[in-house]
Amino acid sequence: MQRSDIQLDINGKTYSISVPSQRTLLEVLREDLGLTGTKEGCAEGECGVCTVLLDGLPVRSCLLLAVDVRGRKIMTIEGVSPKGDLHPLQKAFIEHGAIQCGFCTPGMILSAKAILDQNPFSGEEEIRVGLSGNLCRCTGYVKIFKAVQAAAQR
Amino acid sequence: MKYFDYMEPKTLAEACQFLSQNEGAKILAGGVSLVVLLKNDLVRPSHLVNLKTIPGLDTIRWDDQDGLKIGTLNRHRDILFSPLVQKHCPILTEAVSKLATPPIRNMGTIGGNLCHGEPSADFPPALIAVGAKLRLFSPKGERIVPVEKFFVDFYETILSEGEILAEINIPPLPPRTAGTYIKLDKITNSIAIVGVASVISLDEKGVCTFAGVGLGGVAPTPLEVEKAKKILLGRQIEESDIDQVAEEAQAISNPLTNVYASDEYRKEMVYVLTKRALKESLQKALSM
Repeated sequence: MQRSDIQLDINGKTYSISVPSQRTLLEVLREDLGLTGTKEGCAEGECGVCTVLLDGLPVRSCLLLAVDVRGRKIMTIEGVSPKGDLHPLQKAFIEHGAIQCGFCTPGMILSAKAILDQNPFSGEEEIRVGLSGNLCRCTGYVKIFKAVQAAAQR
Repeated sequence: MKYFDYMEPKTLAEACQFLSQNEGAKILAGGVSLVVLLKNDLVRPSHLVNLKTIPGLDTIRWDDQDGLKIGTLNRHRDILFSPLVQKHCPILTEAVSKLATPPIRNMGTIGGNLCHGEPSADFPPALIAVGAKLRLFSPKGERIVPVEKFFVDFYETILSEGEILAEINIPPLPPRTAGTYIKLDKITNSIAIVGVASVISLDEKGVCTFAGVGLGGVAPTPLEVEKAKKILLGRQIEESDIDQVAEEAQAISNPLTNVYASDEYRKEMVYVLTKRALKESLQKALSM
């Protein structure tokens, strides 16, 4: 069985691992590297809880082969805030009651970060489209949109 | 997922070679369709050939003679945000804006979308309506195939062993051209129940000089409404002409029943949406 020795750049740190071709990035993150902030939901790229940022863009880690993303910049929820501080988005989510069970939250925060990094003045429509790839079964989305808008205004 | 060998070719020729030498090899582009199939054990390739390691397959160029040339590995987001596409083929921008969600658009490619061969995909109706041609590359040479001839059956295209879709070409359209893509879906940007794309060009007198209608989700493959050209070209289009094209769209449709919709509903809706799309395209073109 072919195993590849690859290096992954995750949250600014380089990880060296040996993986078979069919190992997904999600499996590597959660099972090989212990970065369990990224979740598995539908495993088919529809729900968004596996969302990570690849070179700043939201992607589905459950549909990416680890060998396919070596050398690219990956950010997971663990990399969103420096040690001890919360990112303005994370603070806004807490303040606005945008978190219930929390399962969608890592993916939401990363997608929201990508929206605001692209356009810090994003309006409601842009935020809605930008988060359309992240499902939430608890909140009904309203408070999530409000939280992102509040963070945008900061 | 079953085990597979993973290859990274440096050129298209090398990729074709890998594919020809390994009968069970499949191409990896964006992976958003393929990896789902792999996870569900619906395909069991012996090898995956990653096209993304080949440079130059993701350009978008405009040529005054040949028109718009879109490389096969352009991601949906590349097409969505391309000023060239917005300027020269806005119906494509409209179609891709209705395709799934941002993370999928950040990964999936137009080539992968076409080669996956899903009958309800969003690109094919729009590409059919504008008369797009596909450039297929193989070690034996290249061939150009009109997009409506590319699809053979459910998830089956005309690609032969070792052949790769390299480029999508949209010939230049006349100045007074307007297009519309209507997607009927249960949830915004989910899988299309019915998709209709129409493109109309008018001369200064309002006579139709170009027309194209493409359908998705109503047959084992995307369809071209061939008779649309016969009905619409050379006339100042009237409601009855549009009605005729919509009836023809319904006549050639042969939809399935599945969890999203029944065959009867699709058959009904393809008529309604073809009429609506053509009316809208005509209005837009008249106001130009």
